[in-house]
Amino acid sequence: MKKVIAYLLILTPISLFSQLRMVKDTLEMQGDSVVVTANRSERKLSNVTVPVQIVNAKQIQQTGSLRLTDILKEQPGLTITSGFGAGVQLQGLNPDYTIILINGEPLVGRTAGVLDLNRIALGNIKKIEIVKGPSSSLYGSEAMAGVINIITDATNAIPLQASLRYGTYQTMDAGINNAIATKSIFYQGFYNYYSTDGYSIRPNSSSRVTTPIQRFTVNQQIKLNLTDNTNLAFGVRATDEQIKNDISVSNGGTTITSNGQEHNTDQNYNASLNHRFSNKLKTSFRGYFTEYNSKQDLVTVSGAPYYDLLNHNFQRFENQTDWNVNKRINLLFGAGTVLEGVKSTRYDSEKVRKTNSIQYGFSQMEWSPMTKLILIAGIRFDKNEAYASAFSPKISTLYKINAKQKIKFSIGQGFKAPDFRQIYLDFTNAAAGGYSVFGTAQAQQVIGQLSSLGQIGALYDNYYQLKALKPEYSTGMHFSWDYEPTDKSFLSVQLFRNDISNLIQVQQVGAYITGAQIFSYLNIGRAFTQGIELEMKQKIANHLMLSGGYQYLETGDKDQIAQIKAGKVYTRDANGYSRLLTLSDYVGLPNNSKHKAQLKVNYYNTNGVFANFRILYRGKWAVNNTNGNEVFDNGDEFAKGYISLHTSVGKDYSNGVSFQLGCDNITNYIDPSNLPNLPGRTFFVNIKYQLLKK
Amino acid sequence: MKRGVKSIAAVLILSTSIVACSKSSTTTVLPITAVTVKDIPADTVTGLSAQGMPITNGKYTFYSLEKNALVANTDSASTKWDIAFMSTRILTNGGTSGVGQGGAFVYTGLFDDLKTIPTDSVFKTDNAPTSYAITTGSGNGWYTYDQLTSLITPLAGRVLVIKTASGKYAKMEITCYYKGGVTLPASATDMEKLTKQRYYTFRFAYQPNGTKTF
Repeated sequence: MKKVIAYLLILTPISLFSQLRMVKDTLEMQGDSVVVTANRSERKLSNVTVPVQIVNAKQIQQTGSLRLTDILKEQPGLTITSGFGAGVQLQGLNPDYTIILINGEPLVGRTAGVLDLNRIALGNIKKIEIVKGPSSSLYGSEAMAGVINIITDATNAIPLQASLRYGTYQTMDAGINNAIATKSIFYQGFYNYYSTDGYSIRPNSSSRVTTPIQRFTVNQQIKLNLTDNTNLAFGVRATDEQIKNDISVSNGGTTITSNGQEHNTDQNYNASLNHRFSNKLKTSFRGYFTEYNSKQDLVTVSGAPYYDLLNHNFQRFENQTDWNVNKRINLLFGAGTVLEGVKSTRYDSEKVRKTNSIQYGFSQMEWSPMTKLILIAGIRFDKNEAYASAFSPKISTLYKINAKQKIKFSIGQGFKAPDFRQIYLDFTNAAAGGYSVFGTAQAQQVIGQLSSLGQIGALYDNYYQLKALKPEYSTGMHFSWDYEPTDKSFLSVQLFRNDISNLIQVQQVGAYITGAQIFSYLNIGRAFTQGIELEMKQKIANHLMLSGGYQYLETGDKDQIAQIKAGKVYTRDANGYSRLLTLSDYVGLPNNSKHKAQLKVNYYNTNGVFANFRILYRGKWAVNNTNGNEVFDNGDEFAKGYISLHTSVGKDYSNGVSFQLGCDNITNYIDPSNLPNLPGRTFFVNIKYQLLKK
Repeated sequence: MKRGVKSIAAVLILSTSIVACSKSSTTTVLPITAVTVKDIPADTVTGLSAQGMPITNGKYTFYSLEKNALVANTDSASTKWDIAFMSTRILTNGGTSGVGQGGAFVYTGLFDDLKTIPTDSVFKTDNAPTSYAITTGSGNGWYTYDQLTSLITPLAGRVLVIKTASGKYAKMEITCYYKGGVTLPASATDMEKLTKQRYYTFRFAYQPNGTKTF
């Protein structure tokens, strides 16, 4: 019976899968699970003042998701982007603005601002917490659009769990997970192997959109309970990724083949000492080291070799203290120091590591003047060596109108530090006309030298405005209304608005004598995103759950809008002749869909049979500026909106064996130019065995 | 984007009749008919070398706005031509480029709205290789180049105001850089993008009476 209830709970997409605190055995729609990301401290979901979405292990398993990308693309309001790996767009903001954490520690190694979410295997994940809105008051840089925290299980004993999956394009995934938990020690070991042959969705092409990949992930965690109140925890996670990238370029009949090899490794080590002084006071010291190394070799059969290296390391030491002053007041204090560095072939020398050090402190007060009301105020200060400091305040509040309804409001400031590439890039693309991009640290110096050598043809006004970059700032506001009319229905309406200033944009600052362009970075842009998100869940029958989400999104570049209003932006009419652009023609930022929706049906019965059917919709989005005005409008090139259908069925047997079949992208929708990461129809079969506890 | 190609005979019907302006009875204007010219090749790519580099003949295409006709390369040192094209670069017949009185500047605005060239306008002349009357480079003059798609798009709302070799005035708007007058989609092959580029489609109005009014 206990198992049945557990399974039923799984049907609620936001449900508990947390053993951190035992939850009452009811079928509440929202399931009062524990959230750690919203407050950097364990809180019941019902007491969290900011928008949080939880994806639990069962949901991951039942959709048949393997990599983080697979499950995030099915969440309301999230969009997966392609280009430099699969990134996630949150509330209309690019992947650069969402921090990705594993057990609270950040992952590094972004290419052009994108952290490839395919790096993360899902096999040992207990849940994923997604906090929307600026969260820099707790997490610092990058937490401008939100936070995605991947939480691995650290409490549950798992005698042995083994899974094997095979699917289209020879995609193979094998995993072993094992955990022991006694009073004094907890250990978890996770091993995952993933490989795919890749695929090509372009007809008659020998090069593959997704190239053959082999990935190996290992994760080991150990926690020692030294006393009842003190524990010591260590974790290590390593991924190794080998990508074979053979490119064929056809030039007037002759085909030139290049053999490429990409090798990426990602290592994370963490140690923490946690001590509880009393029921009211606890503290935690955490040390973390991570290193991402990416090496690309490309050897052309007839040409010169190409070699590209990126190495990013990051070390952090911090303390966080939680003080439960009394029944109504909770305080949290933290401080830490970060040292990070990057080496890259795209900087002036790949041998010299560019470094930055950060010192920061943060504090948050949670006050509940009455049971129905919670007020939170937090602040964080980040002092940086390489760029200007940032100050990030946030306030949020939750009011429970009655047992069925609650409202939340929050306003906060987020920031994103300039990244190393924007400061140190020293890149000249000889292949594409010889244009150069220089980071701000050396742009003026390098261009000055080139100028004295007589190589510079023109310098623009903004060359003289180049200076040390400041962080990008955003102010985010969020309002939501949650309504649970019955224990079978849930509805949430959320409104958000983000105002971003100081955006760092690539600008042409000059030109070579040959006419080739010279670019650098300036803090010049101002933009906004705003929208509405709806989420609903409805239990139709005992074993059947319907859930859905919808996002309406508007985005815009404020400077472009001002230009349009001033009558300075043109577009072309049907004859190709110029005309003035009106605001109604303007579509905002590229790669953003105005409409996104998903609808899911989940079936689960007491015999362990499960089935689901998911419909994902993404409306059209602007991809290329084709009418020569440098703003995105209705006359530009759009990617078509599309619907993809996914399904999976399976059965959990009482002897610990699970069997699952699935089909993704049933209608075989493809768009090679705009959705290179979406393969056609794929099938998979998955077998899982769990040694049951005696 | 589709436009008919007008025959030279048809486009030369520049009305000579003087029509009274409705605003004032003392001034008169010559109604100048705008002419559309399609697919003027500008050093087009004929193939690829063994190293994969585009092969072109490296020569300008000369054009007379007065006659609305191509001018032979052998007449490059004459005042027979007004503008010349080679890939994205446009020359005017003056300065370092030619023996004429030519010059130009890029006006931001609409073709039809430019009824009179402002009196304070400065016509620049070519000063190769450092500067050209019609500014070169992406986003500087008449076009933008997209690094991702490798496509050239004429900037909307740009009018090239040209002083011809003989010192008359013309205005022109470039509408396309690709063969057939339609910019290729981003998904076109690299080969298509190479071989179908460098074909100008533009409209222009030429004022033969020497005034700055169109």
